[in-house]
Amino acid sequence: MIFLTVGTQFPFDRLVRAVDDFFDAYELDDEVFAQIGSSTYTPRHFEAVGVLDKEAFDRRFRQANAIIGHAGMGTITLALDCGKPLLAMPRRKKYGEVVNDHQVALADEFEALGHILVAHSASELAAKLTRLKVFTPQPRAASPDAVADRISWFVRSIDPG
Amino acid sequence: MNQTSMKICFAGSAGGHLSQLLKIASAWSGYEVCWITTTEVVRASLGEQGNVHVVGECNRQHPVRVLRVFLRCLRILRRERPDVVISTGAAPGCMAAILGHLAGAKVIWLDSITNVNRLSLSGRLVRPFADLFLVQWPALARKYRGVEYVGAVI
Repeated sequence: MIFLTVGTQFPFDRLVRAVDDFFDAYELDDEVFAQIGSSTYTPRHFEAVGVLDKEAFDRRFRQANAIIGHAGMGTITLALDCGKPLLAMPRRKKYGEVVNDHQVALADEFEALGHILVAHSASELAAKLTRLKVFTPQPRAASPDAVADRISWFVRSIDPG
Repeated sequence: MNQTSMKICFAGSAGGHLSQLLKIASAWSGYEVCWITTTEVVRASLGEQGNVHVVGECNRQHPVRVLRVFLRCLRILRRERPDVVISTGAAPGCMAAILGHLAGAKVIWLDSITNVNRLSLSGRLVRPFADLFLVQWPALARKYRGVEYVGAVI
């Protein structure tokens, strides 16, 4: 199963439609299950629900062979933490999908580092969706402890006690 | 355990900003803390880690909401009197940081990882007031003076 999740706060019809249109021309071994939030587009080729509760969401996420989603930090970190291949489409301001284009640069940088696949358009999505199942995400070597140590060192340096 | 009366205020919008703050949780073990965040939904994820204040979402498209959040942050900081404000953004965190600075608190800013090529707008506004300014991409630390990169939290 491929889990399509677009976040629940704002609609993202462009992504839901792009995945749906893909199946007009192609087939995949995996079927798609979607959480489309407040998106209004109704897909013809797969089952879609509005909002899953956290438990159901986590179960779908863990069961999935691959994830398709928006390029939000939450979706990206969850996919990397679970080692799931993610195909992400950045939300764009010009389509009214988000208040600014912050998802674009991050998505491109993470794709360049091999962490995720990125599609900016429906045609790119179609091209990369066929590769998603064989894509092995590069694990992310984050260093939260180094950041925490730096902050903690600073706080101790100003601590009068 | 630090035997100290220092208090740290963590300010971060629900979602990515808050989750990045939570990644550096070890930085405040032993200190008294309070939180400023934007929605009730995330209250549970902060557990019993001190007072949690929910100020609501705002951005520059909605000036009235900005004013409301500003006044709430002001009231919270007056009551809590933190010695340090740590924030990842966005707009409410920015206001909390600047108000904290004006009230004499030290300001630590951790610019969100989503800012790859330039600092966030909030970060640029806070930068003159920040006592420690961290970014999560090495190129940003080379681009801006007084900005440090020690790693990414995500």
